[in-house]
Amino acid sequence: MRPQHWFYTLPLRLRSLFHRNQVEQDLREELQFHLDQKTQEYVTSGLTLDEARRKARREFGGLEQSKENCRDARRVSYIQDLLQDLGFGVRILRKSPAFALVAILTLALGIGANTAIFSVIHGVLLRPLPFPKQDQLILLWEKDRDGTHSNTSWATFMDWNRLNHSFTQMAAVSFWSPTIVGAHDAETLIGFRVSSALFDLLGVKFERGRNFFPTEDVRGNNFVVILSYGFWQQRFGGDPAIVGKSVQLGSRAYTVVGVLPTDFPSVLSFDPRKPADIYTPLAYDATLPYACRDCRHLRAFARLRNGVPVTQAEAEMNQISANLFREYPTEYSASGVILTPLKDYLVGDVKTALWVLLGSVGFVLLIACVNVANLLLAWAARRQREVALRAALGARRARMLRQFVTESLLLSFLGGGFGLFLAWGGVALLQSVRLANLPRLQNVHIDAWTFAFTFGICLLTGLAFGLLPAFRASKLDLNEALKESGKSTAGRERHRLRSLLVFADMALALLLLTGAGLMMKSFVRLLEVKPGFDPSHTLTLTLSLWGPKSADAPAVAFFDQVLQKIQALPGVESAGIVSQLPLGGNLDMYGVHVEGKSLPNPEEDPSADRYSISPDYLRAMRIPLLRGRGFDERDVASSPWVALVNESMVHRFWPAEDPVGKRFRLGDTKGPWRTVVGVVGDVLHRGLDAPHTIQVYLPNTQFTDSLVILAVRTSNDPAALAAAVRSEIAALDPQVPVSAVATMDEVVSASVANQRFGALLFLLFGAIALVLTAVGIYGVISYGVAQRTHEIGIRLALGAGRREVLRMIVGEAMRPALLGAAVGLLAAFALTRLLTRLLYNVKPTDTPVFVAVLLLLVGVALLASYIPARRATCVDPTVALRYE
Amino acid sequence: MLSVTEVNALGERMSKPSDLVQGTLDLLLLKILALEPMNGYAVSLRLKQVSGDVLQVSDGSLYPALHKLEQEGWITAEWKSTENNRRAKFYSLTRLGKKHLEKESANWSRLSAAISNVVKLKEA
Repeated sequence: MRPQHWFYTLPLRLRSLFHRNQVEQDLREELQFHLDQKTQEYVTSGLTLDEARRKARREFGGLEQSKENCRDARRVSYIQDLLQDLGFGVRILRKSPAFALVAILTLALGIGANTAIFSVIHGVLLRPLPFPKQDQLILLWEKDRDGTHSNTSWATFMDWNRLNHSFTQMAAVSFWSPTIVGAHDAETLIGFRVSSALFDLLGVKFERGRNFFPTEDVRGNNFVVILSYGFWQQRFGGDPAIVGKSVQLGSRAYTVVGVLPTDFPSVLSFDPRKPADIYTPLAYDATLPYACRDCRHLRAFARLRNGVPVTQAEAEMNQISANLFREYPTEYSASGVILTPLKDYLVGDVKTALWVLLGSVGFVLLIACVNVANLLLAWAARRQREVALRAALGARRARMLRQFVTESLLLSFLGGGFGLFLAWGGVALLQSVRLANLPRLQNVHIDAWTFAFTFGICLLTGLAFGLLPAFRASKLDLNEALKESGKSTAGRERHRLRSLLVFADMALALLLLTGAGLMMKSFVRLLEVKPGFDPSHTLTLTLSLWGPKSADAPAVAFFDQVLQKIQALPGVESAGIVSQLPLGGNLDMYGVHVEGKSLPNPEEDPSADRYSISPDYLRAMRIPLLRGRGFDERDVASSPWVALVNESMVHRFWPAEDPVGKRFRLGDTKGPWRTVVGVVGDVLHRGLDAPHTIQVYLPNTQFTDSLVILAVRTSNDPAALAAAVRSEIAALDPQVPVSAVATMDEVVSASVANQRFGALLFLLFGAIALVLTAVGIYGVISYGVAQRTHEIGIRLALGAGRREVLRMIVGEAMRPALLGAAVGLLAAFALTRLLTRLLYNVKPTDTPVFVAVLLLLVGVALLASYIPARRATCVDPTVALRYE
Repeated sequence: MLSVTEVNALGERMSKPSDLVQGTLDLLLLKILALEPMNGYAVSLRLKQVSGDVLQVSDGSLYPALHKLEQEGWITAEWKSTENNRRAKFYSLTRLGKKHLEKESANWSRLSAAISNVVKLKEA
């Protein structure tokens, strides 16, 4: 509309809205003036005053109708009606506070849970990454013979980069854990070596400074770093002049050239809890020993050219890979490249779980709707006479329907308001206690999207539970309703509705509880898994050496010193060193080439998890030695090279032979032979729900890492030991950084955090559903029984036995409940299949869970119908007959 | 609903809330108020006077029509005293209303000229 128009009309509209009485008064006065003038006119022409007045009225036509038309012309009557309805709704809710409270709380639970889960889904899955054209960002993997994806090598990456036409840019990334050295301390950082193209490829706008120059991505020129925003803030207090300053990493000084923006997601991090701190150029060239074609430790990123679909890029990469496989038949196990969109790579793991959660929380809301619909029905029945009176006084049905729907919307929005608070609390809790290892969790907010979602579901739920009772209530026989005892007439239809609600409650609850039962059982099974070591009473921490100390011999010597000091601490039973902690998130794999059993293409030989350990590590972790001997002080760098292997490796290579004395090469087909001296039990490394893998242990004197995990077994509380262990290490060298201090129980627990989170939420939703269903069925049935007290009285008075009447009532209530249970069972059979990927060692149609849930719900329904039925039949018939 | 009662050639009364008639009434009211500000009663007298019996606007339909014009921003109202000292609501044309009236009367002239031309065509 034109602004001029509003200049004239806006004040009028506002006046109509807020000075309603004044406007009405004006209207009356205006019309009265007209009538008076007219009367005057007729009096002048000779009529009596009375006649004149009547004639004026007659000529005017319908006075009230004219007024209503004038009001319509003011065009704000909708808003006024709404305000009027709302006011009425509030008044009437305040008259039934118990009803209002139950309805609002039920809705708050349902809407709050949905809002919380939605905000998580929105933040984690739906919100776009802060990169332009994010759909073009792809990760590239080599395809293994078994179809799984693996990292790539520098040589392969260079060929991909040179030969492809599908991508504008490619970048390679490898893990880096430098030690930042201060005057009195040192800290291990999480870092990455990246191609200089990486940040360009992603489209990052730097907070400070610049990207790496390609000239810095060259060996010898690569002593420059880019800091993450968080690390810049935390370590340098957000120093605005940081660019150009130097930082001491290990024994070298690096120059800071840039700082990443605050919203840069940790796209490279392996662990969502620990975003990367620092980046340096990759600076590889083909002469490096770890640049070989089968040195697969790089992750490849690429950006698709405009208009190139993923399938086309995939076809091209597969062709390139097939050619490479032909050219280097012994350096690949298979041909093929796997393309993963960056978004899927970041959140793919939790996607299914989150959507399933949203689905199940949706069922909770449905149950809440059913319950509130039932409450409204009962309430509407009590208001029958009010409705009838209004209808008799001329209220149109549509207008009354609007009144009822306004009331249910009022309820749903009040519920939604509280629900929003619940959701806000839930999300805050989720973020503060880190219940789950969700990627991008920092992106989860209660924001405009969440508000829009909540608004939407309030509207939907308000209509869902409000329309049915509204139709019921506004459609009624006036004569019957106005009569004193009119309530029994609409009985049959209302009975049918109540049965429908019981049916729906049961079906939904059964579905939801089955899901919850399966998830719980799966989680319990997971916790029962024996990881192959004993996590109790064990403290772990990470040590990382730098500078001259990190060379092989000095490192081993330093670790020995540390172990000696710690073993002398009171309460310590044993202490050991390992290169990769089981369930700790790190992994190192090498191809195993067994003497006499190696395949013509060595790349087709299986890979084993590699651990370098100090002799006491097995004792500290209580990993059983099954055969042969463990390592001891005789196994040094100059002695014959030895190894321990796990049971899975024995099954794989020597199922019917004695493995002790057998030899294999690790990684390199021309490397030294290592002789098996013993067999140890299998350890679950990747997760409690992961399959067993083949594993190889080497003495840390013969394969030395500078970043190791120290495991200390104590007879006391392991957490209490942390301070003493730290100070022993600091006493030896204050500049050796200690990090990731945790008990082994905590490490195991953290590894199943997501499963626990899922099971916990399902349990919560299941519990809410159970309570709502029990309350709902009880409410429906007890209301129905109360309505029939009169009838029950008659039956009893006519001689019916109490037991028969009891059986009749319970039977009638149980029929829709059992039907609902049956339908719920069928639906559960169909839908729990969606859980398959989330379940560990439990089939989605697990019979015990289905039976238990069925029994539980049928029991609840029986109880919920028995209590009101018993109460009704225990009443004295004379009292019942008088009951009204 | 606004309804204007029209008497057709046969003397039958028929109710026609069509857009044409609606627009016509708006035009008439605006034209009347363009001459001088007046109250609703005076408008009804003037309407009768200028259109005779051809266009009969019931008093009950007049006020909603006036209120609608007011809401459109074409006329504005003010409470003033009449000659015999009674408070009455006086309507007057706004600038917006003047412009609208000019546009609509031009439209009307064009339309009625066109129609009378058509009506005057000699039948073959």
